[in-house]
Amino acid sequence: MISADHVSVEVEGLRRQFKTKSAPVVALDGVSLKVGEGEIFGVLGPNGAGKTTMIRILSTLLMPSGGSAKVMGFDVEHEAEKVRRVINMASGAEKAGYDFISAKRNLWFFSQLYGIPGEVAEKRIGDLSERLGLTKYLDRKFYALSTGYRQRATIARAFVNDPRVVFLDEPTIGLDVMTARSIREFLQTEAKTHGRTIMLATHNMAEVEAICDRVAIIDKGKIIAEGTPEDLKRSLGAPALVMEVSPPPKDLEMLRQVAGVKGFTSSADEERGLSTVQVVVENDSAANGASAAMATAGYRVVASWRKEATLEEVFVALVGSGFKEREEEGGP
Amino acid sequence: MRARALVRLWSIFGEPMWIIVSMGFPVLSSLALSLLYYSIGATNYVGFAVLGGVMVAFWGNVLWSMASQFNWDKQEGLFEIYLTSPASITAILIGMSVGGIVGTVPTAVIVSIIGWVLFHPVVAASWGAVALTFALTLASLYALGMALSSLYLVYGREAESMNEVLQEPVSMLSGIYFPSIGSFSPFPFAVQIAASLIPLTLGMDALRKSLFYGEGFGAVSFDLFALAILAVVFLAGSAYSLKALERKGRRDGTISVRIR
Repeated sequence: MISADHVSVEVEGLRRQFKTKSAPVVALDGVSLKVGEGEIFGVLGPNGAGKTTMIRILSTLLMPSGGSAKVMGFDVEHEAEKVRRVINMASGAEKAGYDFISAKRNLWFFSQLYGIPGEVAEKRIGDLSERLGLTKYLDRKFYALSTGYRQRATIARAFVNDPRVVFLDEPTIGLDVMTARSIREFLQTEAKTHGRTIMLATHNMAEVEAICDRVAIIDKGKIIAEGTPEDLKRSLGAPALVMEVSPPPKDLEMLRQVAGVKGFTSSADEERGLSTVQVVVENDSAANGASAAMATAGYRVVASWRKEATLEEVFVALVGSGFKEREEEGGP
Repeated sequence: MRARALVRLWSIFGEPMWIIVSMGFPVLSSLALSLLYYSIGATNYVGFAVLGGVMVAFWGNVLWSMASQFNWDKQEGLFEIYLTSPASITAILIGMSVGGIVGTVPTAVIVSIIGWVLFHPVVAASWGAVALTFALTLASLYALGMALSSLYLVYGREAESMNEVLQEPVSMLSGIYFPSIGSFSPFPFAVQIAASLIPLTLGMDALRKSLFYGEGFGAVSFDLFALAILAVVFLAGSAYSLKALERKGRRDGTISVRIR
């Protein structure tokens, strides 16, 4: 429970509807949540779930159609100017810099949008760059930076004004493992050492599990679960069933018919000629039922074991289908 | 404001090739017209062509680096950064203008030197009037750029086509190549009135009078007054429309062109 004095972000019945040529689309449908100071809060959901819409409302780029949202006590709709003094935002998809000037000059320029005195800005840029491993590349023109270093510069930009709340949208998308990890470590330090609140919209489950204190799973504009990653995993009860199945099944519809199966994912291993199927089950009887259903459908269960559910499996169980399937469908 | 001006200057002077490329059109158009006037014996007009080359450099900068800048920023995701900061968007545009003016000066100087060395246009300047006219022309021209910048936010990639559409007709109407208002103008009166809404038209008219005919403040006072009014109107229009577009963008979700 977050005490009222330490709430950074407070959202109540937030609703956002977009007009389209065919019919209005409800992107957010009565979302309520509270995020405390110094907390890293993950907003997890498939494409089109409404997570970016929420981040955009909180960062004053979009007005809500209904409900209210406050950042550090300021209303995002009516006190946008005040909100903008205490926040910053960054997106993994943004370019966020002028190509023909150096990374350092870009960062200095963005610091000036907040009226930060030159010396303070210089010191802060130096400090952020050092911690993000950017120092050696500061004098390079922005276009000459690799994707990873450009993204480090983007993250540095999001912290250059010493914000109380930072909104990040897929900050590590498209990055290599090491760069993504160093950015995550940086975010954790910023939250724990400087007490900054970080709201992270993503569909990277591993990222959420690694750094988020709490998570909201959002789908079709509604929060369908909220808690710590551990709480959410525990909420599933029984661990997941993992089966190696041969030949790789074309579809797994038969699993939907099994009572107690909450969701499933699968990945094919063409070299070995089998698929690894992970099934989130309510209990042992559902696990047995899932194995039997595979056999009845003509697939051989080469090996099977039980393991603790991952956040991805929690998501699958709650949202109702695999991430990949959702992405292939192009979102809801 | 200062920071945005510096970004523009760093961008321009950080890429020398950019300066050379941006000189191309003003130098060539000025040379072509000067040669034409020279070859038909209309040497009095050569100065107009050189002055036209100088001013077309600024007009090009207004169109391509002012008017379409925010649209480009929007496509790149930079406009969102401006909006989520407490900085004034109008101040950012003014900074962009100052940087654009200073960054275009080398082009303008080169055009002037080439014109001067090759064609020796006769100058009989009233320098005080020339300086004030030049300053007011740039102020109102860049204020127009600021107003266009806010309007172009409504457009997507069509903004570049808009620039293409505007560049030549405005150059012709504004008297960059020949006097477009007054007794030497080939245009009907109504067209001259419409052309006068473009700051470049009044600016070129007043600059011709003060630079080549030595006419002082009295002779160009109407142009100066009108230029000042245009600058204020465009500046206020730009500030108002930016606010209105920001409100509309936040309401309709059109601040970003990226589909979320």
